[in-house]
Formats: sequence, structure tokens, C-alpha cells
Amino acid sequence: MSGLVDAEDLALLATGFEAAMAEETRPAETDQALFDLGWAELLSAAPSQGAATAFRALGTTNSAAGLLDDVVANTLGIDISPQTCVVFPAPHQAKAPAHPQGDAVVVDGLVSARDEEATTAVLAVEADGSVRISTADARLFQSPVAGGVDPGRAFRRVSVEIPADALVPAPAGGSWDSAVAAARTALAHQLLGGARWMLAEARQHAIDRAQFGRPVASFQAIRHKLAESLVEIEGAASVAEACLEGPNPLLAALAKSLAGQAANTTATHAQQVLAGIGFTAEHRFHYWLKRMLVVDTLFGSASSLPAEIGHHLLSRGAAPRLIQL
Amino acid sequence: MDPETFRRDLGAWLDDNAHELAPPYEGAGSMDEQMAHYSYVKRSLYDAGFGRYGWPESVDGLGGSPLLRAMVGEEINLRGLCDPNPWTMIEVLVPTVIEFARPEVAAALVPPFLRGDEMWSQGFSEPDAGSDLASLSCRAAKTDGGWLVSGQKIWTSFIQYAQRCVLLTRTGEPNSAHRGITALLVDVDSPGITYSPIETMHGRLDFAEVHYDEVFVPTERLIGEENGGWQVAMDILPYERSTTFWHRGALLHRRCSDLVAHLVANGDHSDTAAKALGHAFQWLVAFRSQSRDTQHRLANGQQLGVETSIDKILITFAEQQLFGAVRDLLGGVVEFDDGIDAAMWRTDYLYSKAAPIYGGTAEIQRNIVARRLLDLGPES
Repeated sequence: MSGLVDAEDLALLATGFEAAMAEETRPAETDQALFDLGWAELLSAAPSQGAATAFRALGTTNSAAGLLDDVVANTLGIDISPQTCVVFPAPHQAKAPAHPQGDAVVVDGLVSARDEEATTAVLAVEADGSVRISTADARLFQSPVAGGVDPGRAFRRVSVEIPADALVPAPAGGSWDSAVAAARTALAHQLLGGARWMLAEARQHAIDRAQFGRPVASFQAIRHKLAESLVEIEGAASVAEACLEGPNPLLAALAKSLAGQAANTTATHAQQVLAGIGFTAEHRFHYWLKRMLVVDTLFGSASSLPAEIGHHLLSRGAAPRLIQL
Repeated sequence: MDPETFRRDLGAWLDDNAHELAPPYEGAGSMDEQMAHYSYVKRSLYDAGFGRYGWPESVDGLGGSPLLRAMVGEEINLRGLCDPNPWTMIEVLVPTVIEFARPEVAAALVPPFLRGDEMWSQGFSEPDAGSDLASLSCRAAKTDGGWLVSGQKIWTSFIQYAQRCVLLTRTGEPNSAHRGITALLVDVDSPGITYSPIETMHGRLDFAEVHYDEVFVPTERLIGEENGGWQVAMDILPYERSTTFWHRGALLHRRCSDLVAHLVANGDHSDTAAKALGHAFQWLVAFRSQSRDTQHRLANGQQLGVETSIDKILITFAEQQLFGAVRDLLGGVVEFDDGIDAAMWRTDYLYSKAAPIYGGTAEIQRNIVARRLLDLGPES
């Protein structure tokens, strides 16, 4: 952790962030509230710890705040603000979301809810095997697509062609790969925050709900589902925490993959334990489930990342020892 | 001793002595060969000092953090210098014996075990007391100067090589459950002990059925309090799920690397192979990370407890993913092939089936997580 922010400060900020996120406001208002609470200063003083703190709160509260835009922009060396958004990679992928085609640039990616109010967008364009970072007018990426599974519309698909001369090269900053790793680490913390929330809901339901004259929490089939969820969450969380010890792209990929898997397992088990009520629009569970489905796809998913990790091992010719005593 | 310095010195010493420490047999070797080489490696490490760090001076150790022990076991397993299972017995039994046995008994008996001169075993399970350990019935009756032990134990590992056994006995009423259990440190050459090895499905005599017929155990061999054996057992189990698993995790890492090398040699860079490999590797890393956290809690003097069930479930999952991938990706090697490599893959694949059973079954671990970590109240 950065020496500039101690554990007590982080705990205080986490409480403040959670309170701001829990308010039912539009994402743009939540973003502004977080900046007012010192989000930008935190990210600059302790990029990974600060992001982990905020993203855990995102997962817990299920807020649609545009913090991923800030994590990626900050890693790329671009000044962050509630008016700056980022075009993210297409679902299940981590490669730059755009490539040149003649005088145009073809964009296939995702934008966050911040895109609605942003003035500047950050775009990574891959050409000839290298990634260049540019900025452009955010209105170029305002997506007409209104659909999607997530009622909070935290992320939407954007598929456009823009003129190449609309892009302004960004000053040299962090690499795209380092931005991918930072995003993956932050998203792992978000997925685990959401998974812990789902597990807590299911646990409470199992204790409160009686059938056959006893709490359903007393039945082994229910207990084992909840236990398996906790084990996957703890294993993934341990790796997500290890990512905060220093930049390591492979570890970040593992953390995101494990967190996505833990969140998927927990969502499945929690919904089964919640049973009928968990399938209704009336219970809050579905908001977390749907956000999890969306966040899992960002920067590589639990389904796409194992192959990426495996190819990495094959090209290395060995399984590296990542975690040292 | 600073852990970083220790790790560097240990690595250098192992490099310098790589030839002498390598197993003299091909593949897994026979059990006799394995045990002889285990003793040799243990003795070499002890004489060089590395095997004494992380243990207190009261048992001729050189002190220092338990992390140092974890590092030694990790290196031994990563380099494949000897079979991991005999090695684990020290980590399972010695910390608890040091804490609960009479100091003069620990001081006399532990050093030969650390030096590799002795082997110890663990007499917990019985034919009618497996997952329900507290129902054990092997009886210890009070007699002049000690106890007379009569009954039967099962799954006692390495008894045919062992000089001592940490034994759980019934000293209370038959239905006294966990309240009437006493732990004793028994000499295996005591009159009245007989055993018959049990062959495992991977073709080894890893454990045995042991009969105790009025075996005399002197008073000073009491571990903990009389009728306080459950506390001793509960102290042992977290060790069984901590340092021991850290070591085994290193072995799994080596085998994962072996799998990668095998795939590369066969030119298999398919997405199918990559996905199965990545999936297995990610759970190995999750286990290793969780186990590292456990090692640090242990090194900071924290009491390990029920949370180590998470480590057990994770390593079980990782082990099964890994050897499941081996079977899927090696194209019939496990099922059909001859030769040392195939035999090793087959052994490891079959042994992975034991992972959800030994040291508390997968179901018992989930029960512990549900009751103690999720606080779900009593089971119906």
C-alpha cells in the first residue's frame, strides 16, 4: 500500500463511498459525489488499494458509478474527471476496442453509464500490433443501444465508425496492458463485493425461512451450497488481495477469472437458496445477478480468461510460482 | 534468521547438493526405497541446519519463524526430492506434541523424528469412527503407572516404518463422545501391537489396520490432559490443513509445469488444452494464495482453526482440476501407457481421488464452513 494512505483512512473512505453509492441517484451524480469525497486524490495516492476499496463498495451497493473509466484513464496517465469516459473492450475480451480502416476507425466495445454526460472519451486503437491511446469528443460514442440485461445500464455496447481525424493522440502514459491489469484487479474486487452481498442475502434467507418446521439453513444441501460459495469467494479474494502487492498482469488475469467464477457460483447457489422469491422482480437479488453477468464480461470473463491464462503458460513452457511466502 | 536469506541459502545448498539429494530410483520407487531416501534427505537437511530452523530450541531446533519450515518443504516438493507424504507427518504431529506433551518427552522424542532417524504415525480413525471421530472406542484403561490400550485403528499411515504413534483413545464412558478422549504417544514396538497393511487402489501400502491388545503406555506419554484428547485432535487438524498443504501445493505446481512441458513437447497449443490448463492453474494459485495467508497467520503466532477447512477444500479442488486436465489432455496416457512417466501420471491421477477423503472428507469440511464460518446454526 502507498505510504500516503493508511488503513484507517481507507476504512473511512470506504464507508463514505458506500454511503454515496447507496443513495439512489443517477450515475453522474454518484460520480460527482465520489469525486467530492476525494476519489481522485485517493486514486493518485494509492492506485491499486484505492481502487480495490472503491470497487468492493461498488459490488456491495451495486452502484453504476463510472469508476472503471477513472481506473483505466488514470493508469494510462490521463487526467480523470466525471466528464471523462473510456471506451472499454468488447465483451469477454481485453484487446483495444478499435482499429483503423482506411480513413476511419472502427469501434466495437462497451461504454459505461458515464458516457451519457461525458465530454471527452479515451479510446485505445490497435494498429500493426501496437496500441495507441487517443482522446475524442465523447458524443461520438453515445450509443443508441438501450437494451441489455442490466436495468441499471452500467455498461452498454458501442459499435460505430468514426473519422480517424476526430482522434487526438494522448500524451505518453501507462501502457494498455497495465490498464488492462488495473481494470481486472479492480473488477475482481467489485465481483467479490457483489458475491459477498449475494451470499449474505441467501444466508439470511436460509436462516429466516422455515419449512418442515425448521429453518432451511439446517438442511445439508443448502449448507453445502453456501459453504462452496464462501470457499470460492475466499480463494478468489486472496488472489485479488495479492494483486495489490505490486503490478503483475498474470496475477490480475487470474484474480479476474477466479472472481468471475466465484461470483457465478455464488449467484447460482444464492438464487437456488432464495428459491421462488429470488426469481421475482420484487426481490433485489436480480439487480446484483444481472450486474454480475455484465461485469464478468469486462476485460475477459470467467469463461474466456482460463484459455488466455493457459496459452500464457504454454508460451512460457512452465507454471510460474506467483505467490511467495 | 531472515526468511529471504534463508530461502537464498537453502536454494544454493540444494543446488550444490542436487546430485546427492536426487532419488536413486526411477519414478516413484518402491515404498522401502522412498522411505529410505526420505530419511536420507531429512538427515542431510538436519545436518546442514536447514531442517532445524522453524523448530524451538526445546526440541534441538534453531528457532525462527515456521515460515522457514514451509520454505524447506516447498523446495523439496518443487524439486521432487522425495515423496511428500512421509514429510507431512512431522508438520501434522510435531507442533501439537511440542505444545501438549510433557516437555521432557518432547525434548527426548522429537529430535530423532526431525533428523529423519524415526518415523511417526497418527492413530485417529477407527472402522466405526471415520468422519464421526468423536465416537471412537479404542479403550485406554488405567493401570499402575499408565494405561492399557485395547482396540482397533485403521488408515494408520506408515505404521510399518514408524517408531511412535499419536493415538486417540477412549478413557471416558463409551458414550462420552469428545469429552472422554485421551491422546497418548505410543511406542510402536510395544508388546501387543500388530498391524496389517492395506493396499490402496494406486498400488501402495500407504496405511494399515492396527490392533492394540492390552498395550502398556506409561503415564508420562500423556499428550495434553486426561480426557482432553479432543482438544489435542482439534489442534492437530488445522496443522494438517496448513503447512502440510503448502508443501503439497508445491508438488501440484511441479506437476502442473510437467503437464505444460508435456503439452509443449506434443505441440498441443489448442484452445481446449489452454482452457483446461488455465482452469486448473487458477485454482492452484487460489489455493496457494489462501495457504500463504494461512502460513503468515501461523508465523504471526495466531491460533489456526476452522478457517483452514477453506484451504482443504481449495487444494482438493485444485488437485482434481489438475489431474482431471492431465487425464483429458494426455490422450490415453493415464489409461493405457507403459513407462515411468505414464506410471507417475497414473499414480497421481488415482491419488487425486483421495483428496476429498483424507484429513476430513469434503462433506465434513463443508459442514465446518457452514456451521463455524457462515454461522448457519445447527444441522437438522
